[in-house]
Amino acid sequence: MTALEILRRLLRDQELTARYDEVAALLRDADQDTLRRCGTVLARLDADEISEHHPALPVLTVAVTGSTTLGPLAAPLHAELARHGFVPGVRFGGYRQYQIELRDPTNPVFEAAPDLTLCLLDADEVFTGLATPWTVADVQRSLDELAVNLTGLADAYARDHAGLLVFNTIPLVRRWAAQVVDHRSKALLGATWREFNARLLRLATERTGVVVLDSEPLLAETGPLADVRLAGYTGVRLGEQYLAGYAREIGHLARAIRGRTSKCLVLDLDGTVWGGTLAEDGQDGLHVSDGPHGEAHHAFQLAARQLGSQGPLLAVCSKNDQVPVHRALTELTELGVTEADLVAVIANWQPKSDNLTQLAKQLNIGVDSLVFVDDSASERGMVRAALPEVPTIAVDADEPAWHVHRLLADGWFTTLEVTDEDRVRGERYRTERQRLEFREHTDSLFDYLAGLGTTVSLHRVADADIGRVAQLTQRTNQFNLTTVRLDAAAVRRLVDGEDTDVLVVRCADRFGGHGTVGAMFTRWVGSTLVVDNVVLSCRVLARGVESACLREVLVAARRAGADAVVGAFRSTAKNHMVADFYADHGFTARAPQEPDGAVHFEHTLDIEPEPVPHVGVDADISWQVREEVAVR
Amino acid sequence: MSVDEFVRLVSDESGMSLEADDLTTDLDALAGWDSVYLLKLLSALEAAGGNGLPVLKLLESRTLGEIHELVAG
Repeated sequence: MTALEILRRLLRDQELTARYDEVAALLRDADQDTLRRCGTVLARLDADEISEHHPALPVLTVAVTGSTTLGPLAAPLHAELARHGFVPGVRFGGYRQYQIELRDPTNPVFEAAPDLTLCLLDADEVFTGLATPWTVADVQRSLDELAVNLTGLADAYARDHAGLLVFNTIPLVRRWAAQVVDHRSKALLGATWREFNARLLRLATERTGVVVLDSEPLLAETGPLADVRLAGYTGVRLGEQYLAGYAREIGHLARAIRGRTSKCLVLDLDGTVWGGTLAEDGQDGLHVSDGPHGEAHHAFQLAARQLGSQGPLLAVCSKNDQVPVHRALTELTELGVTEADLVAVIANWQPKSDNLTQLAKQLNIGVDSLVFVDDSASERGMVRAALPEVPTIAVDADEPAWHVHRLLADGWFTTLEVTDEDRVRGERYRTERQRLEFREHTDSLFDYLAGLGTTVSLHRVADADIGRVAQLTQRTNQFNLTTVRLDAAAVRRLVDGEDTDVLVVRCADRFGGHGTVGAMFTRWVGSTLVVDNVVLSCRVLARGVESACLREVLVAARRAGADAVVGAFRSTAKNHMVADFYADHGFTARAPQEPDGAVHFEHTLDIEPEPVPHVGVDADISWQVREEVAVR
Repeated sequence: MSVDEFVRLVSDESGMSLEADDLTTDLDALAGWDSVYLLKLLSALEAAGGNGLPVLKLLESRTLGEIHELVAG
């Protein structure tokens, strides 16, 4: 039975809402047609009812507004969000109402406090306001007005809403462009139009709450922007194919803001990284970079490496013997991705699903943070069956020119911002490989920790750290006490706040620096210091870093004359490892649970906690309880 | 395109469970019908080989039966 048939049967039997948790796996590898049709079915469901059945599934709220008919976005948007395991809470605004809607925070489209607000723009917004006959100078004036207008809307939106605002660059369509007859004016129109789109794109580079999707690369893939007849009769000026590509981008944006950006790209070798089979063709018989066959694979190697330079880790998982793989990866100098780019090379005959599970464990990331590429349908099928949470990318060994396209068809590694930390992440994990080997040669955990020579620094956040701190709140799932995701603007507000502080955690050891690995969010309430959240990267866990940081906060609060430190913990599907964090550090739970699901723990600061062994600390976080508070 | 094939295609595109009887029901009276489905139906009909359908007429149709007649020619 196809995915669509299954969905329709479930809908007919009124079971689809109750079994919504099975939909993501059904849609993961569906083609565009299936997604569109399944999306139509899914758009009929009630988000609140789904949430009642599946309280653990994350809800993603979206407000849709814009200058064109919006209804056709419903199906692809519901399909893409469902595909990523979200419960889509989508509300649509009216036709061409975005100017009013975006300025009115009480508009019903914003009732659910949207995580994302999508403002779909098309060329008629510029041209239909012009009196005919018009000139290119008129278009230029209209574009200038629109640019100013959209900037104002973005600012108004940012004041009223916490979610991201998403614009798209406006494609110039021939229906309007070809009404200009002379080439000089055509060129001027084209240049003016691009200047407007460039201005729009700059909104996203200058503001933290705005994302602008570039329509041009999207359109080059999807083909016609709209059906002329539907555009003419029904105002559908952004058509099905464009919206399918658009919705796919939105799905990955949703993953990014919920800290679910994939973290590691796992590559098969034979037929994927190179053409041919190492065990049969021999190292010298492989298609690595020469000729049509080799060039196609080389483009894929370079694309993987390019992704790897911006944060995603690269690993290899191949059914081969280890020695020839190691030899090939080191000796084939023309390879675009070499052993030095990889955080792990797994070459054995174990099931790949077992290898992937172990790899995730070794890298200290969730198995759902892996993305797996393989040309073998059976390998992909077995991984899907055992690990349905791992996205698999199908490449075809007989047509490797598609490899890059397939790799990039989904934006699994989409993120809001790449930080310096991302650029060196691979290097840090490769150093971690040395640490793991080192650990195997040490007799006890005590010796291991003593030998590591960990040092921690804890300071108030500086301007340069704000992006990285926001990213830590977005990416960290396991060591995240309350899982409050913040963007850079929200971190800035806490930094500027009179009673709030953001402390940044850096860490190093004898193998090198780990960089900025964590953050603590504190708030004074009277003479009590509340720790609203603590986030820590998983690569520095289990070595006392978290204990050392908490101790510094306790000591500083005590010296400031605080009467207690209160820490908040809110349970999620992924942060159970820190459920006892406060209890383990001398805090007692305070009943009852807060309305937002948080549990508060209290430390009365009677004695100063002992320093943590094996961790050197450099901290500068002194506080002073304000006098009027101390007097009271 | 036979009535059965047409009903199946409309069902696929709309996610509704339709019967041949529904072809004579006014679209406004068809429970669960959304005007967006007409747009989807057009793409699907053309993809199924009916290129150059009279779209204006299709949009003005009051029942699925009228649309089927347009397709069947």
